[in-house]
Amino acid sequence: MLGLSALWAMWELELRRLRHDRLELYTRAVQPLLWIGVFGPIMGAIRAIPTGGIPYTSFITPGVLIQSTTFVSIFYGLTIVWERESGILKKLLVTPASRASLVVGRAMAAGVRAVVQALVIVPIALLVGVRFYPHPLYFLGALGVIFLSSGGFAALSMLVASFLKTRERFMGIGQALTFPLFFASNALYPVAMMPKALQVFAQVNPMSYVVDAVRALIITGDTSRLGTDLLAILAFDLLMFAVASASFRRIIE
Amino acid sequence: MALVYDFFVWGSAITTSNIAKVYARTVRALDGVDLAVAEGKIFALLGPNGAGKTTLMRILTTQIRPTAGEARVFGLDVVREGAKVRKIIGYVPQEMSVWTDLSGYENLLIYAKIYGIPPRDRPRLLDEVLTKLGLKEAARNLVRTYSGGMIRRLEIASALLIRPKVLFLDEPTIGLDPSARKAVWTELGKFKEGDGVTIFFNTHYMDEADLYAEEIGIINQGKLVIVGTAMELKRSVGGEVITLSLKSNAFAPERLRSLSFVQDVIVAEEEVRVVVQDAETSLPSLLEFLRQDGVSVTRVAMTKPTLDDVFLKYAGTRFEAGGRVSEVRQMRRMIRRG
Repeated sequence: MLGLSALWAMWELELRRLRHDRLELYTRAVQPLLWIGVFGPIMGAIRAIPTGGIPYTSFITPGVLIQSTTFVSIFYGLTIVWERESGILKKLLVTPASRASLVVGRAMAAGVRAVVQALVIVPIALLVGVRFYPHPLYFLGALGVIFLSSGGFAALSMLVASFLKTRERFMGIGQALTFPLFFASNALYPVAMMPKALQVFAQVNPMSYVVDAVRALIITGDTSRLGTDLLAILAFDLLMFAVASASFRRIIE
Repeated sequence: MALVYDFFVWGSAITTSNIAKVYARTVRALDGVDLAVAEGKIFALLGPNGAGKTTLMRILTTQIRPTAGEARVFGLDVVREGAKVRKIIGYVPQEMSVWTDLSGYENLLIYAKIYGIPPRDRPRLLDEVLTKLGLKEAARNLVRTYSGGMIRRLEIASALLIRPKVLFLDEPTIGLDPSARKAVWTELGKFKEGDGVTIFFNTHYMDEADLYAEEIGIINQGKLVIVGTAMELKRSVGGEVITLSLKSNAFAPERLRSLSFVQDVIVAEEEVRVVVQDAETSLPSLLEFLRQDGVSVTRVAMTKPTLDDVFLKYAGTRFEAGGRVSEVRQMRRMIRRG
């Protein structure tokens, strides 16, 4: 199975790159540290947000984690733009690997980066005093959810990258994409607190489902909605893979 | 039908028929290219920037589809049988195609996996290409620390991993200094001799095509204007000229004209210009003839047509003209900024 071996190779590529240069992992951990270490405790002290009995910092930890890993995946599209400017994309296109396996492989490679990023942030959360749900399988499940959802977000960013094509334009768009997803989700506050229009958006916002699933797995242990969340994430992934593969031609030409 | 088809591709590694590519419905990058490259040859597609070289190579390597026409690599259609074509070709794009944040060895390892080379063959193959391209010692260093020539050789090494039947190189020595350029071609030459691979390369350096290609196709504004060996192309422009300075005044131009290999003799002041087909082989006979006639020669010079003359004749413009003007403009802009 050439498609599969190409997938594995892309993941290995990301792990090897991370092994040589870990600086980005640490610098990207600064922002989550501020959310969990500063924003969380201060907002939590007001006790204005109904979290269902969970300490506020614990409530936002999954959201902050997902925001951070989504950022990693969204900016992964940038790598593809960069590879378009260099010859790597051209070279990959001339290997026997299929185009769909290239798109899915590159997208899921973002998942590798995202999971490693999550593993850097978790100890910070522990230090700050966030109480995780004490079940290793649940924790592994959460990493699986992060891996899976990152692929979809990376494919989304590839799609956007296929329209932009230059690095400079992408920097701004990356931010403009991540923050609306973050703020219009259940990451920092329950969806019920939002204005009606935003609530509708939060319902179709994939990040809401990812945060919900991860919150269930690492904080509350209440997995009653996990099935729906996973279905929503899978649907998002498949849709993004399909659309990104279809628009891949635009990146090439 | 099968017979006709076999005849069509027999002995040819690459054939194209009436290939055209139009970008964004208006830009005609290729305008009906017919080409046949024989198996085992080194073929250069020579043309100025923007002539359509890269577009043709990207079509032949199955990256983009032609707007019209047909292209085959070892009989395989590049559009309908792209996956099969990709299994027998190696490709080095013009831009850098390795990850600089990995070592040279890791780059090859990742590409070997993407190519689907079985694990048991990988160590031997990697070792082989690294040795062949003189990168064994630097294999464990990050590519970031490599020179331009080393990066090019690493890229060629990765293209050779699958032992391709055709190697496509897009501007293989662009930006390299002369010694690195020579090193790259020395390695390529060895590989061509050893494995009989067909090499198809794009270049805008006339001397590179002249030195290393066995056959040259000249392309301009999306059209292939002429194909032939460097020698054939230059001869087609006109004869070569041997310019002589003579001591003796007792010289009769008619005597020279009677020689079979002499095409024309022009006497101009102190100099005699003899037009011949091939200056190098004619010169000894010519000098011998003059010596027997008692004419002593004080100075000899040979001038040959260059590929630039070829380009002028067939494309109607000077090769570098466009490039030079834009370079001058760029330089001026830089000076203004500085």
